[in-house]
Amino acid sequence: MAELRWRDVSVEYRAGRPGTARARRGEPEASGVLAVDGVSLRVPAGATVGLAGESGCGKTTLALSALRLLPRSARVRGEILLDGENVRDLSFGRLRAVRWTSASVVFQGAASSLNPVRSVGWQIAEALRLHPGADWIGRRGRRARVEKLLGSVGLSPARAGAFPHELSGGQRQRVLIAMALACDPQIVIADEPTSALDADVAARIQDTLGALVRERGLSLLLISHDLPMLARACERLVVMQAGRIVEEGPSADVLEHARHPYTRRLAAASLAVGDRSVRRPRSRPPTGTGGRLEASGVTVDLAGRGVRTRAVAEASLAIERGEIVALVGPSGAGKTTLARAMLGLQGVTSGKVLFDGRPLPRGAALRAFRRRVQFVPQSPDAALSPRQTVWDAVAEGLRIHRVPGDERTLVEDALRAAELEPTERLLGALPSELSGGQRQRVVIAGALALNPELLVADEPVSSLDATVRAEIVALLAHLRDARGLGALVITHDRGLAWALADRIAVMRGGRIVGVGGVEDVLLGG
Amino acid sequence: MGGEGRPGGRTRPGLRTASSAGRRAGVPPNAAIGLGLLACVTAIALAAPALVPAETLDPTRVTAPVNQPPSWAHWLGTDPSGRDVAGLLAWGARVSLLVGVASSVLAVVLGTSVGLAAGHARGWLEAALLRVIDFFVVVPGLVLALALSAVLQPGVWTIVAAIGLTSWSTLARVVRAQTMSIEARPSVERVRALGASGWHVLGRHVLPALGPLVLAHANLAVGMAIIMESTLAFLGLSDPLAPSWGAMLREASETGAATAGFWWFVLPPGLAIVAVVLAFTLVGRGFERSLTVGLGGR
Amino acid sequence: MSVRRAASRVVGTLVSLGMVAVLGFFLFRVLPGDPVLTLTRGRPVTPGEVARLRHEFGLDRPLVTQFVDYAASLLRGDLGRSYFYDQPVARLIAERVGPTLLLTGAALVLSVSLGVWLGQWAGWRRGSAFDRAATAAAVVGWSVPAFWLGLLLLMAFGGPLPTGGMVTPGSDASGAALAWDVARHLVLPALTLAAVQFAQYTLTMRASVLGELGEGYLTTARAKGLPEDGVRARHVLPNALLPTVTLVFLMLGQVIGGAIAVESVFSWPGLGYLAYQALSAPDLPLLQGTFLVFSATAVVSNALADVVYRLIDPRLRGT
Repeated sequence: MAELRWRDVSVEYRAGRPGTARARRGEPEASGVLAVDGVSLRVPAGATVGLAGESGCGKTTLALSALRLLPRSARVRGEILLDGENVRDLSFGRLRAVRWTSASVVFQGAASSLNPVRSVGWQIAEALRLHPGADWIGRRGRRARVEKLLGSVGLSPARAGAFPHELSGGQRQRVLIAMALACDPQIVIADEPTSALDADVAARIQDTLGALVRERGLSLLLISHDLPMLARACERLVVMQAGRIVEEGPSADVLEHARHPYTRRLAAASLAVGDRSVRRPRSRPPTGTGGRLEASGVTVDLAGRGVRTRAVAEASLAIERGEIVALVGPSGAGKTTLARAMLGLQGVTSGKVLFDGRPLPRGAALRAFRRRVQFVPQSPDAALSPRQTVWDAVAEGLRIHRVPGDERTLVEDALRAAELEPTERLLGALPSELSGGQRQRVVIAGALALNPELLVADEPVSSLDATVRAEIVALLAHLRDARGLGALVITHDRGLAWALADRIAVMRGGRIVGVGGVEDVLLGG
Repeated sequence: MGGEGRPGGRTRPGLRTASSAGRRAGVPPNAAIGLGLLACVTAIALAAPALVPAETLDPTRVTAPVNQPPSWAHWLGTDPSGRDVAGLLAWGARVSLLVGVASSVLAVVLGTSVGLAAGHARGWLEAALLRVIDFFVVVPGLVLALALSAVLQPGVWTIVAAIGLTSWSTLARVVRAQTMSIEARPSVERVRALGASGWHVLGRHVLPALGPLVLAHANLAVGMAIIMESTLAFLGLSDPLAPSWGAMLREASETGAATAGFWWFVLPPGLAIVAVVLAFTLVGRGFERSLTVGLGGR
Repeated sequence: MSVRRAASRVVGTLVSLGMVAVLGFFLFRVLPGDPVLTLTRGRPVTPGEVARLRHEFGLDRPLVTQFVDYAASLLRGDLGRSYFYDQPVARLIAERVGPTLLLTGAALVLSVSLGVWLGQWAGWRRGSAFDRAATAAAVVGWSVPAFWLGLLLLMAFGGPLPTGGMVTPGSDASGAALAWDVARHLVLPALTLAAVQFAQYTLTMRASVLGELGEGYLTTARAKGLPEDGVRARHVLPNALLPTVTLVFLMLGQVIGGAIAVESVFSWPGLGYLAYQALSAPDLPLLQGTFLVFSATAVVSNALADVVYRLIDPRLRGT
């Protein structure tokens, strides 16, 4: 059996090659980015090791270094031992022979990890063709093997002829697992294999992968930001932060008796349904005065490419001041469309959207509505115009509504309300100079500047790291309790709904299939 | 992706649809070379009447012998009617630049407004505009410009109109796609939810984001317009009173200068066209690059 | 392709063809004010002759009647009668289709193979000396007027190679000798046309390859143990070729129209040269006929591009 071992490995990305625009302008070359800093890690034969960390901590770089797959701009130091051989010293021919037969990788983001113009069967068979084996001789042998592999990950052998775009995200991830197992490797590295998937699909895929690893006695290095998931799947846990390993040990130990504060934050940041310590229900009942937004039997048909699809079917939902309602459901359930319809950004095919009992107005009166109900779109990276400073972005609403008062004071107040400080330093910053969490706070500040009664937030934390996510959750809960702000929070993450919401609505296939108190819906069903 | 009609039927090189407008990076060196070249040519064009009085180019009044190779008196020799080639070249710059810039302004204004309207409108208006854009993208521009200048009164402004009216469609298509993608961006969605009117969105968010793209496109369009102008002139469609580079080459071809080896009035006009077109192309690609660099890889 | 989609595509193409016909009518009958004046520009004509011509072209009737007549003859394949040749325009055009297809076809094969090859390697070896040279060549090639390049080639090779026409005048060669003669005549015009066209294929191909370089599936392919050449040939190329192949079909109509200048330089007896002669005469019915043929070719090749794209990209199959 083979083991995989990193011994004091550092990886540095050069910022740019000599002769870049920067160098020509006479500016000093930016020093490289140290992605991995002196890491030693051992994946013993037959063991399962979980590597935890947030985006940018160097975990993917570490994974790619095992098969020497890093881009040319990466400079590697230290030893990477695959079955006792230093990967860095292998000849290219030997390296090619080792790739996929000794160790293989289940990549993240299956959508881009598969070639869009080749059938998935062809892509699995390619690995077999490159590494001839006794079990797959000739075209027919390979074909039989591909079908067997697809069967082992729970896909129909007939799917071999399918192109990646014809498969769902979960199915594509299963194809990648089948591909990784094609040449009977002894070590499998799985890099965020399920993070892009809806929770229930992710769980099933984790089960499949776990079963295959146990059955075949493989070594597994599972990489994820989700500490509890890793703890369930692996014997040992390794926690990485900013290129260094900050903690490692048996899974149960690390999860329950974390020594490093970062591990504790990471563990606390994951919001598990049923864990009452993370719940933040409202501290007082809704005031019931004004600010009630209601969708009543709303149906929305979307036209695209000449085909009309029913995105929302007869959905009814209401939010009011002082409460947070979570709208949960898998991707494609129609959550965002319903929210846009409730904001008046999307026309409805039938049904009504009511604000304070009256249908959404048009024209000038709609502006008044827009001031009272604010929107926080998905993905803070895209929600801010790259050319607007923080000041401009937050002040835009003030300018549109010609809010009286000193603009700077109002903007600074809004930034403080979104817990963004120091304000003087941030006012002139561009979105590209901010972290993801800061950007989301700027978007929220832009909404708060108008002192709204309701907020509609579309996946407010899905693109953020777990620790930042917890902070935004706390902020939203605080705004509800302190200001009586009501919010409709759209999410695919049941953990988030559990932590934050007072009521919950579950959406599936365009319909609302359940509404009720959080504990009733999430624990009762 | 559409074919903008021009000789040989070529499209603009590598004008990618940028996903967003970025801040301007420094001027790339190639673009700087292009800008310098353009400044020189513009200066020559403006100074032409002073440097080379118009009457010295009047075929009825020239005294120099015809088809003379370059000499001290005539740096680039003389043409088949005895006119000074260097002088013709300077005057030709006026027509090329005027037609190139004026027709591109026409095309850019037309393309941007139709593209914006088609990107913003919904329903039948969108469908109608889209059909018109698609039609003009498909119909070969050179063929259409040829027909237009053949049936209208000959003259510089006819050529400007013919080129301008046949080369706006590609830009319109790009602008429409960009407008739609910008308006679908969460940042614009956010602003609309803040209560912004359509005009606010258009003026504050869509137009500024389109700016660099349109500018890059305009520079490439000038280069194409200059080639089209010279092609039309070569085919005999030009203002007979204004010397132009294309018309010089037509004369060279009709009098058999090329086959006779009179290189001095075959090479210079062509090199002048290539240099000016190249200059505009370099500036345009420079804009395009700084636009993509400014995006920070987003 | 779904039936619905195919039907809407066919209807769209027919509408575009109709628009070509209307534009042709508008350009040559309405816009000039009086086509006869354009026709006789610079020629001494008596008022009687003008009146006779007006009657002959049906210009003394209302525009609507004229358009109905025009549309009816178009549907019959009647493009009118050439003033200059005194022959049916349709027959003149039919005679010239072959030479034009030969020239543009040869140029297309040359420019596409050169462009795809250059662009592929330029993108794959981004930033290398090869990339810089290929990109520079493409940008310069793009900036050169086709007719001028033709004149230069005439000047340089006009001796050893024939300078005009498709066959040597007075030659009665046939079979292999004729083919050889045509090939010799074809060299210069085809090279000219190819030289100004390869640029866009190079730049498109390069941009497509660059667009694929960051894709995750290349890492997957490398991880499987595929050598670099295999990554390029088996993964990058099939993806990067899609836009280029579509471009080829999109450009078919444009290329044929674009051959006007080159055919004029080399007196190549094709449609472009015919258009040039119509322009010089001036011969409006003939010019109108060539305009209609060029535009209709472009419309049809554009529709073809759409079909081809849907056939070769598995993501679009069945949509």
